[in-house]
Amino acid sequence: MNEAPENVRLIGGEMLLWSDMSAVAGVTEWQGAALELIRRLLPAGGRVLLVGPHPQPLVDEVVANAAAAAVLLRSFPDACALGERHPDLTVFCGRLEALDVEEPYDLVLALDGLLRTHSAEAPASAWKESLAALAGLVAPGGRLALGVRNDLGVDRFLEARPAGREGGDDQWAPHGFDPSYPSGPEALDQGIESAGLTLRRSYAVYPDRQAPRSLLSREALAHDLPDALAFTLSAREDERTLVADPLRLTRLVFRHRLGERLAPMWLAVATRPSQTPEAPEEPEELPLGLVEEKAVLYELTPAGARRLPDGGERPVPAGRVVEEILVEACAREDVKTVREVLTDLAAWLDEGGEVSAATDSLVHDGERFAAIGPPTGLPYPTDPRVALCRILRRFAVRLLAAGHHHPWPWPLEADQLTLTLCAMAGRDCDQGDLDRARKLEAELGLPAEPAEHAPTYRDLLRARDRLTEQLAAAVARISRLETKLSYRERELVRAKAKLRRTQRKATAYRRTLGYRLTRRLARPRKVARRVIRLLSG
Amino acid sequence: MDESNHWYGHSRILARYCGLPDEAPKRIQGYLQHGWNYLHGFPPNDHWCSPGYPRFIWSDTLRRRGWSMGRRGHYLIGAPWIYLLHQEPDLGVRPDREGTIWYPFHGWEKSSVSGDHGRLADEIRNVETGPVTVCLYWLEFANPDIRQAYKSRGFRVICHGDRGSRWDGKGRDFLRKQLVELRRHRRVASNRLGSALFYGASVGCETAVYGDPMQFEDERPEYGGTARRMRLWPEMHGTSVDPELAVEVARQELGFEYQATPEELRRMFGWKRARAAAPPSGTTTRRHEAATRRERRPAMAALQQPEAERPGRRERRADRPSASARQNPPRGAKP
Repeated sequence: MNEAPENVRLIGGEMLLWSDMSAVAGVTEWQGAALELIRRLLPAGGRVLLVGPHPQPLVDEVVANAAAAAVLLRSFPDACALGERHPDLTVFCGRLEALDVEEPYDLVLALDGLLRTHSAEAPASAWKESLAALAGLVAPGGRLALGVRNDLGVDRFLEARPAGREGGDDQWAPHGFDPSYPSGPEALDQGIESAGLTLRRSYAVYPDRQAPRSLLSREALAHDLPDALAFTLSAREDERTLVADPLRLTRLVFRHRLGERLAPMWLAVATRPSQTPEAPEEPEELPLGLVEEKAVLYELTPAGARRLPDGGERPVPAGRVVEEILVEACAREDVKTVREVLTDLAAWLDEGGEVSAATDSLVHDGERFAAIGPPTGLPYPTDPRVALCRILRRFAVRLLAAGHHHPWPWPLEADQLTLTLCAMAGRDCDQGDLDRARKLEAELGLPAEPAEHAPTYRDLLRARDRLTEQLAAAVARISRLETKLSYRERELVRAKAKLRRTQRKATAYRRTLGYRLTRRLARPRKVARRVIRLLSG
Repeated sequence: MDESNHWYGHSRILARYCGLPDEAPKRIQGYLQHGWNYLHGFPPNDHWCSPGYPRFIWSDTLRRRGWSMGRRGHYLIGAPWIYLLHQEPDLGVRPDREGTIWYPFHGWEKSSVSGDHGRLADEIRNVETGPVTVCLYWLEFANPDIRQAYKSRGFRVICHGDRGSRWDGKGRDFLRKQLVELRRHRRVASNRLGSALFYGASVGCETAVYGDPMQFEDERPEYGGTARRMRLWPEMHGTSVDPELAVEVARQELGFEYQATPEELRRMFGWKRARAAAPPSGTTTRRHEAATRRERRPAMAALQQPEAERPGRRERRADRPSASARQNPPRGAKP
């Protein structure tokens, strides 16, 4: 356990029996957007320091492109593993405040934030102190990229069990009681200024802090974000129990222009002023925003978006997301709008619209449809009717799964609802079209059924209310049937009594003298008749 | 609870501090850290510390480290030593302190250490200038060879005795004897950082750590070995150590700032008359006691309460079922 690779240096505060890779919170999965930002920040021939746990692809990228790289980790096993992977990398193991370097760095990356630079070996220092220690590692003219979790991020509203309050093994000094921790974008700016740095750009990080995909600068969020962008900025994890569907809440956040204030995380890029003030300021090349959508990275530009690495600039399509238009119409039971939109959609598909589109990846500006994401091309042309069938089936499944209100009165299966919707679009489809649509779905690799999620708290409440209603109705029916049953039973008892009375009367009648005499007199005549029938037959 | 709670007379010291007789110490409902340690206060294989019982530990570093390793229910009370110092401010105090008391690292009942005592004794003789007292653990003391290794160099060889148990009084005066010896010497030294050194520093001894640190036969890797001790306390190692710094480190490691009040200890150890099932936190204790009080009250109340008040109580009780019936009508039951 104590034989560390040669490039691992223990600086004090190292945690021997701890790993941030497998711990409760895990490593923040920075992907394409962060990699792109780092590529632009990496100084040519400069020295780079990574502070805190970072995902492996990011570390690899830095090690491959930096002239000299070092990493600071608190966990001893993590440090040893990294040291073995990259023998040329200097790995400092310990707590941030104990790091004393001879030469500062041209770029310091602390995308994970400062919380995991503390160690159990020493009391956790305040955020400001840690930032000061971090800022001390930045060379004059060098840059710092710092991630800061927002304690009031939209993800905090959604969590049913906030991770910070679960008393996990990493909570020996629970976060949330530090008055110097930034309470908003302004406080973050101030903190950075007071650490002697100059803020270059502040990004809001979406959709969550576990797997951030998009970085949106303050300047980009100053205006209304097009729906085509905002709609993709929510995510749903499978494991966590949520309070509500993240999609709707995140949409509201952007509509209310709180995108920066309620971002799950901020990423600040700052520079330490160079010691020679007359040196010309280098032109700022930091992107306005980086958005990752289905593994394709876009850079936001003042006029629109540019597909990276070398795509052309084009405006972000305007209009509202079709799914939202339809869900809203369904809530109002406005079948007219549904019919119109679906008819338009069918016509668009007939004219050669994108086959791989879906109601949740299309925007409609009242006249035209435009796909949000990149097209998934198919090698052969598809029947527009089957394409429509696929799109509508996906919408039907999502509508029913989300439990939205809709005007179709009886409990419907998704397939039946799809055929109804096709009919509303003026295209009569049948079971055969549905089967072909399913096949197309598999070929495109876009399953209609959303992944299995743990139900959110609001879903559960709604399900409980629905069950209560159903139970009340069932109880009412049972009670009605009970009344009916009692009535019928009473009837039956009455009828039975009547029958018994009649039977009793009949018995009494049989016992009367007159009846018996008639029977006696009748008997010889009967015998004689039988004998005659025998003789004659 | 566990035998180790009573080693070195710890439970007796704490009982006396709490104003209880120390002849037959009571059971402590929890686990008392019994020696200085740089893991989480207990050995790595601490499966005998069942969750749900508090772990009474010495310092906050141990709590944080223990928490990160999945341990919970820590309660900081500091070392029993600080309670002994509180009780015995003058025991063994002498104006003419001289010489060095030297504690060679010791094994214990289930594991012995390997090392050359002869060579260590030579090293001690080369370093120490005054008279030297070597204090051996009883296991080593029982070995005439080891004793002889030190005696032959002209050292006084002593032993503080068996660490004892709850049922015999053997370990009863262990720490008291140690206190007297430490206050008699000017210096305390060892080949490993350990409780004795911090105890010494806390009563004004100069400290030193030098010589072959010796090895346990099966030392657990979780501790990180001598290298880790050197990294954590580099300034505590050497033949002469800054005394002020040693006092400060001892204050932290023995948890002087965490000394609890007698009443707090009585409650935490389950030594109050109303026995609590040793819950991990104080709040549960209070809740439990409140529950006990509630249990007792009806009988007492029935005895003490004047007749006139009783019907009222019965009325209240009678209210309850009807109230609950009102609250929970089956929903939608009406046709």
